[in-house]
Amino acid sequence: MDPNVARVLVESAVKIALFFFVVLTAVAYMTLVERRVSAWIQDRQGPNRVGPFGLLQPLADGIKFLFKEEITPPHVYRPVYLLAPLLIFVPALVTFSVIPIGPPVELFGRTVRPQIADVDNGVLIILALSAMGVYGVALAGWSSNSKYSLMGGLRSSAQLISYELAMGLSIVGVLMAAGSLRLNDIVERQAEHGWNILWQFPGFLIFLTAAFAETNRLPFDLPEAETELVAGYHTEYSGMRFSMFYMAEYVNMITASALAATLYCGGYHVPGLRLLGLPPLASALAQVLAFCLKVGFFLFVYVWVRWTLPRFRYDQLMNLGWKVLLPAALLHVVWVSFVVLMGWS
Amino acid sequence: MMRVEFFLFIAALLFAIGCVGVLIRRNAIVILMCIELMLNAVNLTFVAFAHENQSMTGQVFVFFVMTVAAAEAAVGLAIVIALFRRRLTTDVEDASLMRW
Amino acid sequence: MPVQLLLGLIVVLVVFAVVRAYAPERTLLAGVVLGLGALALLAVDSRALLSLEFWVGLIGFAAILSALLVVIHPNPMVSILFLIVNLFCIALFYLILQAQFLAALQIIIYAGAIMVLFLFVVMLLNLKTEVGLHVAGGPQRWGALLLGAAFTALLFHAIRGRLDQAYVESGMFDSSFGAARGVGGLLFSKYLFAFEAASLLLIAAMIGAVVMAKRKVR
Repeated sequence: MDPNVARVLVESAVKIALFFFVVLTAVAYMTLVERRVSAWIQDRQGPNRVGPFGLLQPLADGIKFLFKEEITPPHVYRPVYLLAPLLIFVPALVTFSVIPIGPPVELFGRTVRPQIADVDNGVLIILALSAMGVYGVALAGWSSNSKYSLMGGLRSSAQLISYELAMGLSIVGVLMAAGSLRLNDIVERQAEHGWNILWQFPGFLIFLTAAFAETNRLPFDLPEAETELVAGYHTEYSGMRFSMFYMAEYVNMITASALAATLYCGGYHVPGLRLLGLPPLASALAQVLAFCLKVGFFLFVYVWVRWTLPRFRYDQLMNLGWKVLLPAALLHVVWVSFVVLMGWS
Repeated sequence: MMRVEFFLFIAALLFAIGCVGVLIRRNAIVILMCIELMLNAVNLTFVAFAHENQSMTGQVFVFFVMTVAAAEAAVGLAIVIALFRRRLTTDVEDASLMRW
Repeated sequence: MPVQLLLGLIVVLVVFAVVRAYAPERTLLAGVVLGLGALALLAVDSRALLSLEFWVGLIGFAAILSALLVVIHPNPMVSILFLIVNLFCIALFYLILQAQFLAALQIIIYAGAIMVLFLFVVMLLNLKTEVGLHVAGGPQRWGALLLGAAFTALLFHAIRGRLDQAYVESGMFDSSFGAARGVGGLLFSKYLFAFEAASLLLIAAMIGAVVMAKRKVR
């Protein structure tokens, strides 16, 4: 095999394994973080018995899920029923492959980018994958062959496609400023001209609201609320398959937080790091750490909003998506194009 | 590099399969899906020729074909829904009031 | 050789499908044996995995197989799923043919929006597997198949007439061909009128679809 090809394959394999491991561990610990932070907001203690500060709780939860009985009801359409959790899980993970974690760094005599796929249309890949995520939800609802699941699947997928539009339009503002679809270019432009959140704040709010709706998190989690439609599209799933839906929700949260950090908050850029004059490896590590802190902050915002706001009713939700966010996003695009044309940014 | 004729063969086969599907199937929604198959085959032909002649016009045309396909799918499905409300079936053989 | 490897993998797939159709209890055994056979084929000729012809042949086979299943399968929901597979294969073809922007657009628009529309309609109308005659009966069926075969033969004959022309070499390509910038540049300059007309078309289609699908208020 050609040595160049072999080198690229090995590098990609190592990056993929590393990202996969880190994201899944983060998902496991998000469950704990959610429970502890919600407990802190509600003025009580969260799980703190299993291991120091409850740090082994996700391990215990994982073992519990493995031992749960997996019941496959006889009335489901089996091929699609088995495929649906994968269709939600895989696009969320693959979206992570285009997000840059840190700056390019010299390792083993070669420039390595902490990004699995540095494609020229990274933003389009993200939009494409979030469009594919709708299928998992709709097919889970349909294949379960029960009226609660069907209604929950329909409602949830209608919510997802409605908010996809607002999210896409808010991203258009970022794209116009950066002039490129490549995520590295977007981060570098924010490093030079200031973070996008500073002068595109309405777009940021629209993006954040749409991201909340896209990940089915409160205040938009009507399709999976326990008091509505039993449990929505994952009513008929149990055991390991249900935990796939649960994990997919957290992976979606992490991906949306990483996107918010990359598109609006400068990604891995740390303002003023160049003044410290650190050696390149240490500076790269500091920037990776900064990225992780930004993602962590957005995850905290996710949990915070969940335990603060009440849930929207379905018609309020659709109203907000079509009649409020979409016109606001269109106005935001007009505003950003005006600013870019005038050269004020 | 790949010969462009290979892509043309595949597109021709997909187009023929879509044609046969439109003529054979009785479910209106599957007929609309076979029309989408035909449109995709045509798109593949355009992109193959754009690649061969290194001209972006082929790709721009594909952009417009996708737009028209989206509009036509939306309107077609709305018609199917309206028909379904009346006849409770999507079978095209049942929409035969004005046939000879 | 890529063609042999591709044919070998197709034979493995066909044998597995036949076993599953006629002897379902041996599915696991057949799966294991054939899986090992496929791995042996790949190990013998792993160089072919790097050739473009193999991947184009594989994706082409997947596209044609999924298109056939769209037309044949009686359950409309499964037809939709196979059409999505077909759209993915065509997006991969676009990537090979240096149309990266179109590949992403294909997934976003076709697989991510139009097929979701089809999915919604099938779910709303609650269409199940069609029992009985799901294809047109009698003379229409054979006539359509004959027409399809004749049409395919005609198209193949037309394409074969081109085979004596030289094909392009890999050194001639501009690396920014197929990027969003190229399509956008043409759309907003040379084809601006068509672009605006397309946006009007979409508005008309949207209004038409909403009006047609609305419940009539009595």
